[in-house]
Amino acid sequence: MLPLRISWRFLRSSPGQSALIAGGIAVGIATQIFVGSIIISLQANLLDTTIGSAPQVTIQAIKESDPVRFTPKMQALVNSDPRVKPGTVVPVRSVPALFSNGTDSATLGLIGGNLEELDGIYKISAKTLEGEASLGNGEIMVGKEFAQKYDVRVGDSIALALTGGQSGNFTVTGIFDLGSGQFNGRQAFVSGKVPQNVLGWANDEYQAINTQLIQPYDSKDVASSWSSRLPGVSVVEWQGQNASLLAGLVAQSASSYMIQGFVLVAVALGIASTLAIAAVQKTRQIGILKAMGMGDKPAGRIFLFQAAILGVAGSTLGVLLSFAILALFSLSPAPFTISMEPTFVAISAGIGIGVALLSSIIPIRATSKLDPIEVIQNG
Amino acid sequence: MADADRTADRTATPLGALLETAGTPRKDSSTCDFGMLLSAKDLAKTYGEGEAATRALRGVTFDLCNGEFASIIGQSGSGKSTLLNLLGLLDTPTEGTALYHGIDSATISKPARAILRNELIGFVFQFHYLLPEFSVYENVAMPALIAGKLATEEIRSRAEETLGMLGLDGMSGKNANALSGGQKQRVAIARALMNRPAILLADEPTGNLDTTNTNLVYDLFREISRETQTAFLIVTHDRSIAERTDRILEITDGELVTDVRNSYGVAQGL
Repeated sequence: MLPLRISWRFLRSSPGQSALIAGGIAVGIATQIFVGSIIISLQANLLDTTIGSAPQVTIQAIKESDPVRFTPKMQALVNSDPRVKPGTVVPVRSVPALFSNGTDSATLGLIGGNLEELDGIYKISAKTLEGEASLGNGEIMVGKEFAQKYDVRVGDSIALALTGGQSGNFTVTGIFDLGSGQFNGRQAFVSGKVPQNVLGWANDEYQAINTQLIQPYDSKDVASSWSSRLPGVSVVEWQGQNASLLAGLVAQSASSYMIQGFVLVAVALGIASTLAIAAVQKTRQIGILKAMGMGDKPAGRIFLFQAAILGVAGSTLGVLLSFAILALFSLSPAPFTISMEPTFVAISAGIGIGVALLSSIIPIRATSKLDPIEVIQNG
Repeated sequence: MADADRTADRTATPLGALLETAGTPRKDSSTCDFGMLLSAKDLAKTYGEGEAATRALRGVTFDLCNGEFASIIGQSGSGKSTLLNLLGLLDTPTEGTALYHGIDSATISKPARAILRNELIGFVFQFHYLLPEFSVYENVAMPALIAGKLATEEIRSRAEETLGMLGLDGMSGKNANALSGGQKQRVAIARALMNRPAILLADEPTGNLDTTNTNLVYDLFREISRETQTAFLIVTHDRSIAERTDRILEITDGELVTDVRNSYGVAQGL
C-alpha cells in the first residue's frame, strides 16, 4: 500500500508538525469527552437525586381518595413489562398523621408497606443514617430533617394522631436521608398494616402502585401503554409532573451538544488548515510522484491516510488525556461523580477520526488537481 | 534488455492492454533496426490567449526508433524543454499528438497517460528531484512501487542492479539528502531506468554537474543505451554534448529546423 507508506514517511519527516496536529485533535477530543461526560454525569446525578428514590410511573385511582385494586391482571401487566426495573413494583398505602411533642406539632405522611418492597424504590435500608431499617408493628422510620427539627432520636417513642380519631405510639427504629429535605421533613415509613387499618381497605387495595423504569425517559410510553390496557385507573409518570426539571435537562443537553459541536468544528478547521498547509509543503513531492506515473487517486489517498493516521493517533491521545483530566478532576471535591460511558468515549473517538477524514477533502482535491508539469516547470 | 524481452515483461500489465488497443505498431524497417518507438506529429504548444499568446512550439514532427540515442539542441527559450515535456506526457499539446508504439497519447485517459509515463518513459531533469523523505533505495524503487506489479524481492534486486550499473553500490540505505550532487543525479538516472523504460527523456541532465560528472553521466547514458536498447532523447543547449549523440534535432523559435544523423557513436565504436 504505497500511499499509506508515503503518508507515514511524510508524517515522520515533519515530526513537530505531525505532533501539533495530533495534539490539536487530542485536545479537541479530550474536551469533547470531558464536557460530554460532565453533562451526562450531571444529568444522571440530577435524575438520580430527583427521581432515583421516587416513583417514576404510578398507577392510582382516578379519584385520589379511592383505592386502586392491585388485581392479578394488573400485577401480570406490570411485572411482565421488560421496561420496569426488576424489584421496583411497590404497592403503597399512605395516611396523614399529626405529630405532637407537647410544644410543637406537624403533619406527617405515613407511607405504609413492606420494607423489602419499599427498598425497591426508596432504598431506605441503604439510606438509613442512624439506627436500623425496620418496619415491624409499632415501628416507624423518620427523615433526617424531621428528626433534627423535633429532636427525635432512635429509640424514642412518638405519639401520632391518625385520621378517624385513632392514635398510636411508634418507636423510632431509624433515621433516613433520601436526599430531599422536603421528603425527609414530611414523610415517614411505617408497616403496611397501619394505613390499611386506618383506611379500612382490603388486602389488594392500595393508594398507588409505584414503579421505577430501567430507562426513566421511557415513562411517557410506559404510562401511555398501561393506560390503554388498564381502564378505570389513572397512570401518571414523572416527566408529566416535572415539566420544569425536564425543560432544564433538555436545555442542558442542548447547550452541551452546542459546546461539543463548536469544539468539533474548531478541531476540523484546525486539521483542515494544517493538512492543507502540509499538502502545499509536499506539492513538489506529489508532482514528482505524478511525473513518475502515480495516478490522481493514489496521490489523493496519501493525504487521506495522513488524516486517518492523525485522526486515530489524536483520538487515542484524546481519550487518554480525558482520563487524565478526569483523574485530576476527581482529586478536587465535587458534588457528583463524573463517570465516562465507554459507548460515549468510543463515539467521541470515532467522531475525531471522522472529522480528520473529512478535513482531508481539501488537500485531497488539491492533490488530485495538481499537474506534474507545474512542479517540473517551476522547479 | 532486448525489446522483445521488454515487451514480454509488460504483458498482462495496464500498458499491455493499451498496446493491444493500439494495434500493431508501425515499423519502418528501412530506418529502424528495432522498430518504431515514438512519432511526434505536428506538436504545437501555445501559452496564454489572444494578444498575450506565446507560441512555444510550432508543429514539430519527427519519428524516433527503439534504442536510438538522440539529442534536441536549441537556444534557451527555443521550445526544446516544452517539446520534451509534451513527449513525456507531462504537458498536453495545443495541437498535434505524440504516439508511443502506435498509442495516440491525445486520445487516451489521464490514468492511461500516467501508466505510459510510469512504464514506458523515464525522466531525468536538470535538478534531480529526489524525494528527501526517502532513502536512495526507496527513491530508485519508487516507479516500480507505483506500478505495483513486481514482488518486493524483485524490486529490491532490480534496484540494487540498477544502482550497481550507475556505480552506486552500497548507497541504497543512505538518505537521498546525504549524497553529493553527482551522486544524486546518478540516483535520479537509476530511478528513471528502474522500470526498464523504452525511452529516457533527459532535460539538461548535467546542467548542475561539473565536467567530470558530466562526462561520467554521458558515458553511462551511452552504455545503458547500448546494453538495454533504451532510446535516449537528451535536451541540451551545449552543441559539444549534442555532438556525442547519434542524431541531433535542432529547435529554433519552436520549430524543428534541422534533423541530422551524427557519426559520433560510429566514430567512437559505440
